[in-house]
Amino acid sequence: MKQSTLNPDIVFIRDVIRSGGDSVKKCYQCATCSVVCNNSPDENPFPRKEMIWTQWGLKDRLVNDPDIWLCHQCDDCSVYCPREAKPMEVLAALRKMTIAHHAVPGFFAKMFKSAGYLPILFGIPVVFLLFVLFVSGHLNIPDGEVLYSKMFSHMAINISFTAMFFLACGMAFIGGKNFWNGMKADFGEPKGETSFIGACIKVSKQIMLHSKFKECDANKSRFTSHLLVFWGFIGLLVVTALAVVSIVLYHYYPLPQTNLIKILGNVSAIAFFVGLTIMMLNRLSSKTSQSRGTFFDWVFLLDLYGVVLTGIAVEYLRVFNGGAIAYIMYFIHLVFVFFLLVYFPYSKFIHFAYRFLAMVYAVMTGREVVRT
Amino acid sequence: MDKKLGIYLCSGCHIGECLDMQALEKAALGECKAAVCKKHEFLCGREGLELINNDIKSEGVNTVVIGACSPRVNFDLFRFGDQVILERVNLREHVAWCHKPNDEDTQMLAEDYLRMGAIKAVKINFPEPYIAEGLTSKILIIGGGVSGLTSAFSAASLGTEVVLVEKQAELGGWVKNMHRQYPKAPPHAALEPTGLPELIDQVKKNSKITVYTSSTIEKISGEPGRFEITIKKADGTAVEKAASIIVATGWKPYDAKKLEHLSFGKHPNIITNVMMEEMVSSGRGIKTADGQRPKRIAFIQCAGSRDPNHLPYCSSVCCNVSLKQAMYCREQDPDSLVFVFYKDLRTPGHHEDFYRHAQNDAGTFLTKCEITNIDVKGNTLVVNAADTLLGKEISVEADLVVLATGMVPTALDEKVLHLAYRKGDELPQLKYGFTDSHFICFPYETERTGIYASGCARAPLDTDAARSDGTGAAMKAIQCADLISRGMATLPRFGDNTYPEMYMQRCTDCKRCTEECPFGAYDETAKGTPLPNPARCRRCGICMGSCPERIISFKNYNIEILSSMIKNFSVPDEFEEKPRILAFMCENDAYPAMDMAGLRHIEYNPHVRIIPVRCIGSVNNVLIADALSGGVDGILLIGCKHGDDYQCHFIRGSELIGKREGNLQETLQRLALEPERIKAVQLSINEYDRLPKLFSEYVEEITEMGFNPFKGM
Amino acid sequence: MNIKKGEFVVVGGGISGIAAAVEIAEFGNKVTLIEKEASLGGRVSKMSLYFPKLCPPYCGLEIYFKRIRSNPNIQIMTLSEVANISGTPGNFTVTVRQSPRYVNAKCTGCNDCVSACPVERPSDFDYSLSKTKAVYLPHELSFPYRYVIDDKTCPGAECGKCILACKYDAIDLGMKAESVELKADAVIVATGWKPYDAQKLTNLNYGKMSNLITNVMMERLAAPNGPTKGEILRPSDNKKVERVAFVQCAGSRDENHLPYCSAVCCTASLKQVSYVKEFNKEAQVSVFYIDLRVMGRNEDFLTKIKQHDGLKFVKGKVARITEDPDTKDVWVEAEDILSGAKHRERFDMAVLATGIEPSLSGEKTCLGEQDKYGFFGSGKDGIFHIGCCHTPSDVSACVKLANGAVLKAMQCVGGRA
Repeated sequence: MKQSTLNPDIVFIRDVIRSGGDSVKKCYQCATCSVVCNNSPDENPFPRKEMIWTQWGLKDRLVNDPDIWLCHQCDDCSVYCPREAKPMEVLAALRKMTIAHHAVPGFFAKMFKSAGYLPILFGIPVVFLLFVLFVSGHLNIPDGEVLYSKMFSHMAINISFTAMFFLACGMAFIGGKNFWNGMKADFGEPKGETSFIGACIKVSKQIMLHSKFKECDANKSRFTSHLLVFWGFIGLLVVTALAVVSIVLYHYYPLPQTNLIKILGNVSAIAFFVGLTIMMLNRLSSKTSQSRGTFFDWVFLLDLYGVVLTGIAVEYLRVFNGGAIAYIMYFIHLVFVFFLLVYFPYSKFIHFAYRFLAMVYAVMTGREVVRT
Repeated sequence: MDKKLGIYLCSGCHIGECLDMQALEKAALGECKAAVCKKHEFLCGREGLELINNDIKSEGVNTVVIGACSPRVNFDLFRFGDQVILERVNLREHVAWCHKPNDEDTQMLAEDYLRMGAIKAVKINFPEPYIAEGLTSKILIIGGGVSGLTSAFSAASLGTEVVLVEKQAELGGWVKNMHRQYPKAPPHAALEPTGLPELIDQVKKNSKITVYTSSTIEKISGEPGRFEITIKKADGTAVEKAASIIVATGWKPYDAKKLEHLSFGKHPNIITNVMMEEMVSSGRGIKTADGQRPKRIAFIQCAGSRDPNHLPYCSSVCCNVSLKQAMYCREQDPDSLVFVFYKDLRTPGHHEDFYRHAQNDAGTFLTKCEITNIDVKGNTLVVNAADTLLGKEISVEADLVVLATGMVPTALDEKVLHLAYRKGDELPQLKYGFTDSHFICFPYETERTGIYASGCARAPLDTDAARSDGTGAAMKAIQCADLISRGMATLPRFGDNTYPEMYMQRCTDCKRCTEECPFGAYDETAKGTPLPNPARCRRCGICMGSCPERIISFKNYNIEILSSMIKNFSVPDEFEEKPRILAFMCENDAYPAMDMAGLRHIEYNPHVRIIPVRCIGSVNNVLIADALSGGVDGILLIGCKHGDDYQCHFIRGSELIGKREGNLQETLQRLALEPERIKAVQLSINEYDRLPKLFSEYVEEITEMGFNPFKGM
Repeated sequence: MNIKKGEFVVVGGGISGIAAAVEIAEFGNKVTLIEKEASLGGRVSKMSLYFPKLCPPYCGLEIYFKRIRSNPNIQIMTLSEVANISGTPGNFTVTVRQSPRYVNAKCTGCNDCVSACPVERPSDFDYSLSKTKAVYLPHELSFPYRYVIDDKTCPGAECGKCILACKYDAIDLGMKAESVELKADAVIVATGWKPYDAQKLTNLNYGKMSNLITNVMMERLAAPNGPTKGEILRPSDNKKVERVAFVQCAGSRDENHLPYCSAVCCTASLKQVSYVKEFNKEAQVSVFYIDLRVMGRNEDFLTKIKQHDGLKFVKGKVARITEDPDTKDVWVEAEDILSGAKHRERFDMAVLATGIEPSLSGEKTCLGEQDKYGFFGSGKDGIFHIGCCHTPSDVSACVKLANGAVLKAMQCVGGRA
C-alpha cells in the first residue's frame, strides 16, 4: 500500500506547521499517544504513525488516512505526550490539509488558508447577490412595511441559492469520493462484514449521539458545545427547508411567532448560539496556539456566528419594521448564508463529511474501537 | 627491636558471655608469651583505652594485640601511633557472634585466633619505606589532544612540571579539525566553538610545560618517580625524566574502507563524519564530489560501531555529532533535506535537550532502522532501510551519504609507550584497545603503576568528557609522584610503605615472580636474574606467593609470619574427630563478608581457621604444603571473582591460584593426599550469606574423605 | 613534593564525595566529609551490583573505607548539612548543621538496643520494603559503624528501653542539633540524586498496586542483604517472579516530568534483567524502551544480556499500567512500534526505570546555582560540583569528575584560583 521510496514534501511540512501543527517535529516516537487514545485501534494505531509521516512530509499517505478523522480531540495524547509534540493538534492541522487537498476546485480551498483572501471570499457573494438583484430588478431598497420578499423575491432567492448549493454539493461529492477512493487505494478495500449502508447507519447514530465524543475523558465542555451546535444547526437546517417548502407550496410566509416551525427555529438558534459561544470562549481562553485556532477555524466559527446574529437581527428588524437597515442586514445575512452553504466544501464545514466517511471506512475495516 | 607484647581482651558486646575469658587470659600469658594481659568489659571506652595507653607509656609495651572486635571498626580508637605494632584479633564478629556460646569448639577457635594474632604481632617488623635516588616530580603526557592538553595545563597550574609529547606537528588532535562542538551547557541548543585555540595557547605560554611536537616516544624505562624517557624528535632525540605518565593518545576513526556493506569507496559522495567535519572546518562548505551543494544528505549512524563484525562497542558521540552535522547542512541550505538513520538515538543526560532542539526542524528527518544497504545508481545514492518507524522497508534517495564512523583507540594497533618492561612494551589492554583496570571504581588505573590512561585512550568520550578526564588524570599522576616520593604504594594499598625485599642469594632465576606480577614490577638483568622495581609494585604479594624459594618478603607480611600463624592454631588429633580446615581469605572482600556474617549472627562451622591475606595470589604453595603436612584436613583459598569481569583488586591474583594448581597437585601427590584437600573459591564481598554453606559443605566433604593421615605426626 | 596543603570540605558522602575526600586527603590535605544520612555510601550502597561487571558496590566502597580508616586527615560528619558558605577561594567558612544521632561515640555496635527497642519504622535503606527498629544500624557496611535513632518514630525518653539495654551508656536521647564552622580553601559539592517520585506518573498508577515497583526497589530485592535476601519475589504474595516487565523512561525524557535523559537507567535495567534471569532462568522478561542508551563499552553488556532466552525488547513507551484485581498481576500497555500494533501484556511484576533527580531539586540551597532541572553547573570560584548533582552519571563518570575536582580544589589553596 505504501510507496517505499520516501520523498519528504517540505512544503507540506511547513504547511502543517503553519496550520497549527508546529509541534510535530518534537515527536520522538515513543507511542504514548497511541496507547492513551481511547479511539485508537490495536492494529496500526494512531496517532504515532501519523506523527512520523508528518515529520517526514509524507503528504500522500496522510491525505488519505482515515485515522486522522477518528480523533475526537479529547487531548489525552497531548496531555501525556512526553515531548510536548501535541498529536491532537497535529491531527487537526492534518484534517485541514486533507480538506484542502481533496477540495475541487483547489483554488477555493487555498483561500481558506489565510485572511488575505477574505475580501475575495466576501466579494463573491456580494457580487453574486447584487447580480441576482440586478437580474430580478430589485436593485433598490423597498419602501413601506419590511417584507424581505420585496427585495429578493422568494423565487429568485430559492432558485439562485439552491442552484449554488447544489453546485457546492457536487463539488463536495467529488472531494469526498476522491477521499474515499484514496483511503481504499492506500489503506485497502474494506473487507469487513459490515456493508456500506450498515456502516453509514451505525456512524449516523454515533454522530447524532456524539458517542465517540463522549469517549474522550478529558474534554467534556467540547462535547456539550459541539452537541449544541450540531443539533442547533440541524434544527435550523430543517426549519429553513420547511420554510422553503411552506413558501413554495403554500406561499405561507413569514410565519407567525407561535408557529411550531418558528418555535423550533428559535430554539435551534438559541442552542446554536450558546454552543458557538462556549466554543469561542474555550478557544479564546486556551493556552496553546493550536487550540486557540487558526484562520481556517475562526473563519468558519465567525461565519456561523454571523449567520445566527444577522438571522436574529433580520427577524427582529422585520418585526419592529427597521426600514432600510433591515434590508441591509438581510443582505449581509444572505452573504453569510452564501458563505456557509456555498463554500462548505472548502471550509471547516466539510469536516462532517470527511469524518463521516472515515468513520464509515473504520467500521467497514474493523478499525472502529468499541470500548468495553 | 625488642618487643614487649601486651594482650588486651575485651569481654564486651557479648564476647564475655560466649567465651571463657579466664582461659583466654591464661593462653595469652602462657602460649602467647605476653608480658602483660588485661581484660576489660569495654575496651574501646575511655577506661579501656587508658589501660592500654598506660601500659605503652609506663610498662614499655610496644606490641599490642587487641582481642575484641573486627579491625574494620573502632580503627580510630585503637590507634597508638607508628611506634607501636598493633594486631587486632577478631573475637567478636568472627567468634562470639557466629558460634555457639560457651562451647568447647568456640573456645578453641578464640584461643587459636589469639595465638595466631600474637605470633603475627611478634613477627612483624616496622617498615622502611622505599625511596629511590634521583626522584623527579615531572609528569609525562603522551598525546596533545584535548585530553592531554587539559592534563598538561591542569598539572602545571599546581606547579608541576610537565613534558608533553605530540606525534603531529601541531597540538590539538582531532578537535583541531572540528568546526563546532555540540553544546555542553544549558540550554544545549546552539553549537559552540571548541575552545581549542585558547587551550593550546594556555599550554604554549605556560613555562612549566615543555612541548615536543612531531615527536614520539622511543623508550621508557625505570619506575614511577624516575621514569627515563627517550623522545624521538624530527631532528634527533631528547631525554627526559618523569615521575608518572598520562597516556592520552586518543583515537582514530574506524577505517571506512572496511565498511563495504555501506558502499564506502563505491561513490565519492559516500563520506565519513570526519570527512564532513573537515569539509566544514576548512571553509569549503558542504559539497558533493562535483562541487554541488547537496540537496539531500543522509547520515548513517553506527557505521561500524555496535557491529560485531567491526566495533562491537558504541562510540558514544556519533549520535550527537550527526545531529550537529545535520545542523551544518540545514544552516548552509535551508531547503536541503537531511536524513538521520539510527539504531537507537543516544543523547544521554543533558544532551537530550540538544536532540530536542536539533530534531525540531522541518527539514531534518530521523528514523530508527537497520540499514539494509546503500545502492549507487549513477549519482543517486539510495539508502535502503528495514524495521523503521515508517514501515518495514523504506528507501530514501540522497546525493550525499555521511557514515557516522566510530572511534578506535590509537593504541589498538600502534605502539605508543615502548616500555622497557620485561612484561611487555605497551599497556595491557582490557578490550578493543582500551586501556584500563577497575574502570568502574578507579577509572584512570591501568595495569602499570604510575601510568594512567585518559581521554579516548580509555573510553570513547566527547570533548567535554575528554577535558574532565584530563583534569582527573592529572590529579592521579601528581598524586602518584607525591606518594612515590614518600615511599608509599598507590591504589589499592594507598599509603602502604612496605615493599618486597628479595634474598637474591637463593634466587634460581625461575622468573615466576617476573611472570606472575600483574603490574610488571620485575625486569631482569642481562644474566636473566629478576630485577625488582619496587616503585612499580602495588604490594599485593603475588610475587611472594609465586616464589618457590620463598625469598620474597615484606617487613610486615611474609611467609614466615603466615607459616607461624599456621603452626599456632590447634590441629586436633584423629581421635577427637574434629576436622581442621584452613581458609586463606582475601582481606579486601572475603574478610569483610565474614564480618557481615558475624554482624548478622549467622552461625557457621567452628572447625575453620581463617588467615586473611593481601591477595589470595600471595599464598605460597609452601604454606599449603606446610599446613597439610601439619595435619590440616583441607585448605580453602577464598579469593575474588576472576575472568573478564574480574573483581580482584590486583587484577589476576585469584586467577593465578588456578594456574598454580599444577604445582599444588604435585605437592599433594608427593604427600599422597586427595586433590580435593585444596579448594579454590570465588566470593564477592556481598555474598556473606554463602559462607555458612560453603564451610559446612566443605567440612562434610573432608569428613567423608577421612582425616589427613599426617595428623599427629 | 612541593604542593601546598590545605583544608577542604566535601559535601555529600556518596561515591562521588567519598572519592573526592579520599583522594584529596591522600595528598596530606585535611578534609571534612559532610553526609546528610547516618552513614556514608549514598545511593550506591543500596545497589545490589554495578553494571556492566556485575560486581558489588561494597567491594569498591570497602577499598575507599579502608583508605579512610588509614588516613587520620579525613573527618566524617554524618547527619549533617551545610547551612551556609561564605568567603572566597582559599578562605571559605562553611557552616554545618549536624542533627542529633542520639547515639554517642561510646556505641560499640553490639545491637542490644535494637533487641530492646519496641517500635518499628519502614527502612529507608530498603525503600520501605522492610522495617527496622527506631534504633538501627543503617546497613552492614555502615560507615561510621554506629547505630542511630530515628527521632520521628522513637517515642523518646518516656520509653527509654534502649537506654536501659545499653551497657556502654551510648544512648543520649537529649542530644541536640549543633552548628559547626569549618574553614576551607575550596568546597566540593556532591549532593547526589534521588529517584524521581513515580507517583507523579499518573497514567502508570504507581502506588496503587503492590507489584509495580521502581528500579531502586528492584536493587534491594536482588541484594543478598535486602528484604528478600536476594530472592526476587513479588511484593503482593512473595511469589517467585516468572514474568517481569521493565518500563524504561519512567519520568525521564518527559517534558511533564524530567525532560533530560537519566543516562544510566537503560544499562541499569539490563543489569536487573540479569538479576531476574540469574534468580529464575525460565523467567519471561520484556523491556519496553524508546531508545536503548547503553553507551560505550557497555554495549558489550547489552550484547551479553540479549543472549538470554525469554527476553524481549519492545520499542514503545509504556503508557498505561493497570492491576488485575484478582491475581494482582499487572497489565502493561505500549505500542510495539516495529510491529505496528498495540501490545498489552500481563506480568507478575513490573519495574519502573525511574530517573535521576538532583537531591536538591526544587530546594533553595547555598551550594551553587541550579539549572532549570535542578542540576548544578560544574562549579567555579572555589565551589565545584560533581556527580549526579551535576549531571546524571554512572559510577565511573562520578569518580572521574571527583578526581578532576580534587585538582581544581587544590588550585584554590592560598586563594589562587
